Amino acid sequence: MVAKTAERDRCVTGVEGLDTILYGGIPRSNTVLLTGSCGTGKTSLALEFLMHGAVKDENSLFVSVTENSEKLLQNIIPYKFFDKSLIKSGRLVFVDMPVMYERLGLTKAELSMEEIELLVNSLASLAKELQTKRLVIDSITSVCYKLKTSEKIRDFILKLSKALSDLGCTSILVGEVTADSASYSTFGVEEAIADGIILMANMERRGDLLRTLQVIKMRGTMHSRAKYVLDLTPVGVLLVPLLKGGSTG
Amino acid sequence: MSPEMVSAQQIASELNETPPSSAVSLQMSVDNYLDVIRGVVDLFANKRQMDTIYVAATISSDAIKRVLQALDIDDSRVYFVDCISHIMLGATATQQDEQTTLVESPTMLENIMLKVEYLIRRSQSKDKLVVIDSINSLAIHNNNWILSEFLHVLVSGLRSRDAYTVILTVEEHSTPELNNMVSLVCDHGIHAGKKEG
Repeated sequence: MVAKTAERDRCVTGVEGLDTILYGGIPRSNTVLLTGSCGTGKTSLALEFLMHGAVKDENSLFVSVTENSEKLLQNIIPYKFFDKSLIKSGRLVFVDMPVMYERLGLTKAELSMEEIELLVNSLASLAKELQTKRLVIDSITSVCYKLKTSEKIRDFILKLSKALSDLGCTSILVGEVTADSASYSTFGVEEAIADGIILMANMERRGDLLRTLQVIKMRGTMHSRAKYVLDLTPVGVLLVPLLKGGSTG
Repeated sequence: MSPEMVSAQQIASELNETPPSSAVSLQMSVDNYLDVIRGVVDLFANKRQMDTIYVAATISSDAIKRVLQALDIDDSRVYFVDCISHIMLGATATQQDEQTTLVESPTMLENIMLKVEYLIRRSQSKDKLVVIDSINSLAIHNNNWILSEFLHVLVSGLRSRDAYTVILTVEEHSTPELNNMVSLVCDHGIHAGKKEG
């Protein structure tokens, strides 16, 4: 008889197709790099992950680095399942990273190791205070630009992942890469540290541009490695398998 | 004298005998299109208060709406996935609205599946019908390999959701390969073309 391995508790993303790909969801406390080029749906997917969490009474935190969260909310897809009262009740919290930098006095172009420590501690304290179970940083690439070196980036992501994992928080770090990038991250460090990598891309086929999603790795679970085509709709992200017939790619 | 055609009532009766989650191949003649529409949309789906998701790959959804109106068929439960209007670049008045979803091109088969899935999730009716009009038109834009895969994935998904699928084939424009492809995924066939003999 084959011995059963211990099954990790899951953070059900609420994106039906993605949960199927992941055999039930992201293993709880994992840090996942959600990476891709612009216009591939990363922010929408990350937001949906938080919204489903908030609806299920899991406190969720969105740390906006590149875009003002007020503007972000104005452009949000009118999801059928989203209730604005989740923000009022504090189940879903938006924090702007530039405001955080300013409050912490992290105004220099490059952060020192001490400042990185301060930033990690501040984010972890905030997550702890809010009893956050789901967290998104959009984007981690923008934070990395303030860290400059691979060593600092490694140190920051490692410490942050550890702190969030200790809190039982499942995190998505949104990464930005160029469309022609052969790597999953801009600095090459983020992908090595993350527990999981979800790659979103624009795929051209005979002149048509398809949005695709592929789970490259996910520690703690089996998962499909196939490519799926997605659509961003008011009922959330929908996924179907990429058809392969006749394709050469 | 033109050959006798299968009536709309006969088409509806045959569809009524199929259980939910059935996939039906409906082979029709170009001359019988109006009867097919009446039989499938009006006498079958509307009569059973079923939402119809109509994948328009032959003519624009706007043109089909006009057909429905001309036949005095209630189109309030008919939702269109229109793969034609976008490639006509403004030559049709079709706009995306609550009842019409546009797909940029009939080559974007995954997007057709995604729009069907979206409409199925949005639908409030217990039973649902998905009409593919037609496999011949999709075959103009796609090779048989990808089209066959599309039908397999789409029909399997619809079966799991207990939705009826009706795939229209125009007999005058069909080929043995296309007929085989459709019969492979369908469990019933209705011949609504010209009667033999």
